[in-house]
Amino acid sequence: MTTLLEVYDLSKSYKLKGYWYNRKVNNALEPLSFILEAHKTLAIVGEVGSGKSTLAKLLVGAEKPSTGKIKLNGQTLEAGNFKQRCQHIRMIFQDSGTTLNPSLTIKKLLDEPLKLNTELNEQERIHLIRNTLQKVGLLADHMNFYPHMFSGGQKQRISLARAIILQPQVIILDEALASLDPSLRSQMINLLLDLQQQMGLAFILISHNLGIVKHFSDDMMVLSGGKVVEYGKTHELIKKPKHKYTQKLLMAQNFQLLSK
Amino acid sequence: MNLLDIRNLSIELLTGSEPILAVDRVSLTMKEGEVRGLVGESGSGKSLLAQAIIGVLDDKWKVHADRFHWRGQDLLRLTPEERKKVITKDVAMIFQEPMACLDPTTTIGDQLEEAIDEQLLSGNFWQRRKQRKKSIIQLLHKVGIKKHIECINSYPHQLTEALCQRIMIAIALAKKPLLLIADEPTAAMESTNQGQIFRLLASLNQLKNMSILLISHDLENITHWTNTITVMYSGQFVEAGTTNQIFNQPYHPYTKALIDCSPKANIHLPTKSRLMTLPGSIPILQHLPIGCRLGPRCPRAQQECVQAPKAINHHGHQVSCHFSLKSSK
Repeated sequence: MTTLLEVYDLSKSYKLKGYWYNRKVNNALEPLSFILEAHKTLAIVGEVGSGKSTLAKLLVGAEKPSTGKIKLNGQTLEAGNFKQRCQHIRMIFQDSGTTLNPSLTIKKLLDEPLKLNTELNEQERIHLIRNTLQKVGLLADHMNFYPHMFSGGQKQRISLARAIILQPQVIILDEALASLDPSLRSQMINLLLDLQQQMGLAFILISHNLGIVKHFSDDMMVLSGGKVVEYGKTHELIKKPKHKYTQKLLMAQNFQLLSK
Repeated sequence: MNLLDIRNLSIELLTGSEPILAVDRVSLTMKEGEVRGLVGESGSGKSLLAQAIIGVLDDKWKVHADRFHWRGQDLLRLTPEERKKVITKDVAMIFQEPMACLDPTTTIGDQLEEAIDEQLLSGNFWQRRKQRKKSIIQLLHKVGIKKHIECINSYPHQLTEALCQRIMIAIALAKKPLLLIADEPTAAMESTNQGQIFRLLASLNQLKNMSILLISHDLENITHWTNTITVMYSGQFVEAGTTNQIFNQPYHPYTKALIDCSPKANIHLPTKSRLMTLPGSIPILQHLPIGCRLGPRCPRAQQECVQAPKAINHHGHQVSCHFSLKSSK
C-alpha cells in the first residue's frame, strides 16, 4: 500500500482578544500526526469541542495550521495554495440541504469545480458530469434539476458527486451520514465503500455513531479537548479500549448490550 | 386498563384539490407504566400522531378514528375545551430542540414557575410564593440538577443542550403526568448526553410509573430503553410488538430491513462488507403509492400489495403485510 497522506505535528491555536499582558491562547488542537494510505479510512471520534472539525478544516485548507506539515504523496501542501489542494482533498458536509446552491441546476453546480480546476472543453465537461452522476446512482437527466427537487438522500449523493468529480484522493466526511434516515444511510455507506474500491479513495470519517465507525473504518482516532486520546486499529480499539474516555464513549452507546 | 387506546386513526391534510391521507389507519395502545417506542423514518407521520394525541393540530388537519380512548373516555366525543382539560392534566410532551422550545428572554426559574399547578398550593400569597419556590427546586432535583440556584437564575442560552432538555422534562413533570410523549428527545445530541437523558427517562418510568411514548427515527438508538415498539412507514402502520420480538424476530420486511441496515445490530458482519438496504427513497406526501406504501421498495412485493393490508395479530405481535415473514415459515 502506498502512503497517501502524512500529517506531522499538526496543531491549531487561536489567540483570544486581550491586552498585551493578558493574552490568552486557546489550543483548539494539540500537535498530532497520522498516516493515511489509499483504500483506507480513518475515523475521528470525539465530543463537541474536541477539535475534530478543526482538524477537518486544517486538512481541507480552510484554516492555516499554527504548526506542522501536511504531505500528500510526498509533496508538502502549502497553506493558501488552494488550486493544488482542492483537486486532491474534498469535503462533504453534514447538512446536504444547505450546502447546495438553490439557484443553480445540478449541471451548473457540478460544472463549477471543473471550470475552475480543469482545462476541459464544454463537451468533455458534460460527459464527465454525466458519468459522475451515474457513478453515484443518479440519472444523467437529473442534470437539469434544481436541488429542491431532490430528497435528502439524493442531495447527499449530489454533494458526493461534487466531491468526486475532480478525481480526488482524499474525501473528508464531516458528519455526512448523521442526518440521513437509516435506510438511506446504509445505501450511502454501500455507495462510499464501492467508490473506495473502484477509485482507491481514502476517507476521513468524522462521526459520533460508533456503529458506522466500526463498520466503515480501518483506523480510529479518539480526540478529547484537542488532544489525541487513543489512536489505533478500529477493531482492536473497540474490543479493548485502553483510555477511560474511550471506554465512556463506548459505554454511552451501549455497545455490548446491543450485541446480545 | 389501557391508558391510551387508539384504533385506526387517520389524519388527513385538507388541501385545495383533494385531501391527502398523511396517516392511514394507525393503531396504538399504551398500558400504564409502559415505555413504548414509536419508530419511523422522516415523513412517516410519527410526529403528527403525537400531535393528534395532544390535540394541537390546527384546522388544516382532520383527525378521525374508530376508537380514541384515554383511560376509557372517548376523546373524540368531547368538546375541544373538555378535551384540553383532560389532556393537559395527564399528558405532557417534550420536543426535539430544547434550546428552541424554551423562552430565551426569561430565566429558567420563571419558566418553571409558570408550569407549577396552582391547585397544589394553599394559603396566602406569601405562603404560595414560598411553596412555588420549593416545588421548583424539587422539580430540578427530580431531573438530577443539583445546582438549582445557578440554574434558576440562568437563561436558556447559558446552559448546555442536555441541561435544557432536563429542564424541559422538569416542566413536563410539573403536572405529574401519566403519559410523557418524548418527540426525538435526543436528536442532534452527543452520545454521552443521549445516555443521560434516556437514563433519566427510564428512572422516572420506574420510580413514578409514568408511561413514556418515545418517538425516534432510529431503531437502534432506543431498543435498549423500550418495552414495546411500534414501527411506522410513510404514515402506515407496519409492526408492533415487544422490543424482543421486533428486534430478534421481525415479521415485516421493512422492520427486517431497518434492523439489517443498522451497523450496530450487525456486529458480526465483517467490516467493509455491503450492508443490507432497501432500494429507492422515502415517498413524498404528494406522490404516495397506493395500497401498501412500502410496495415499490419492498423485496417481497407482489400483485396483492396494491391493496393496503390489514393488521394481523400473532399473540400480541401485530404485523400489517400480505407476505409477512411469519407466514412463510
